[in-house]
Amino acid sequence: MSIQVQPVRVETDSSDEAGELVFADGRLVAVLVQLSDEHEAEAGMWFLEAGFGRLQTPDAPKFADLDEARAWIEQRLAPPS
Amino acid sequence: MAPASDADLIPLIRKLESIAQLADAERQAILSLPANIRAVDARQDIVSEKDRPSHCCLVLSGWVCRYKLLDQGKRQILSYHVPGDLPDLQSLHLAVMDHSLATVTASRLAFIPHENMRDAILRFPNLGAALWRDTLIDSAIFREWMTGIGRRSAQARIAHQLCEMYMKLEAVGLAQQHRCELPITQSDIADGLGLTNVHVNRSLKVLRSRGLLTLRGRELVIHDWSGLTQAAEFDPTYLHLEPRAA
Repeated sequence: MSIQVQPVRVETDSSDEAGELVFADGRLVAVLVQLSDEHEAEAGMWFLEAGFGRLQTPDAPKFADLDEARAWIEQRLAPPS
Repeated sequence: MAPASDADLIPLIRKLESIAQLADAERQAILSLPANIRAVDARQDIVSEKDRPSHCCLVLSGWVCRYKLLDQGKRQILSYHVPGDLPDLQSLHLAVMDHSLATVTASRLAFIPHENMRDAILRFPNLGAALWRDTLIDSAIFREWMTGIGRRSAQARIAHQLCEMYMKLEAVGLAQQHRCELPITQSDIADGLGLTNVHVNRSLKVLRSRGLLTLRGRELVIHDWSGLTQAAEFDPTYLHLEPRAA
């Protein structure tokens, strides 16, 4: 599976706006947003603002960095073994 | 653990009188219920799912919540309880707990044996009716939470919860002038309302920036009650509070 990211500005009704569109094999699977200083201890983390298909979850996770987000996305999208 | 003294169970009278009328004999019957008093630290289970309680737990001080745990530690908070509440009253008729009950803050709890609760209800049918009314209001609150989780925005859900908690506390004399203790964390709010703590943080910020409220430490100050109730679409009918004497 090929994962690509593309920077984007996201409207979140907050100061969190730096985001990445995440594509898996050319399809949009997630929008990640980097948490701003208003989140204090969690500032700088990447939040799953929206997940599509198998990435849809009511408990949207946060990741320390984009590599961690990528690993989570790959694991969720991997075909069941 | 210590036996209750006469004044210990007053919070239950205050609670029931916020939703029903009690006669002197019924108030006396409550005060004379035997109970063991226990001080419990914050974030401790009181009764757990699948337990078979033999006592009803009455909150004397502190905050308590009902919750369920799902796979991978995911938690859904089902309700919050404040002094005067009997959060496992249903254990009188439903033998097995289908959820857990835990303290949110350090709490003082009274444990009243089921047999004594049953006896008081048989001797004082109006007391039984007040407890029944309490359980019906409990389910009205669940209907309101369900409506919120299913259909309200994150901001409206949070605003609604804050209005509800303020009114519950005010009804038992624990809040006034739109200020009250709010000892729950953003994670608790998220777990109760089906949100992430990121959305709770963002939404609280918007509610603050609109001048509706301030949250400082464990204190909630509502600056604009009418604005907050509008943001929440909050109609207190479902709390079925007794009109208070002026």
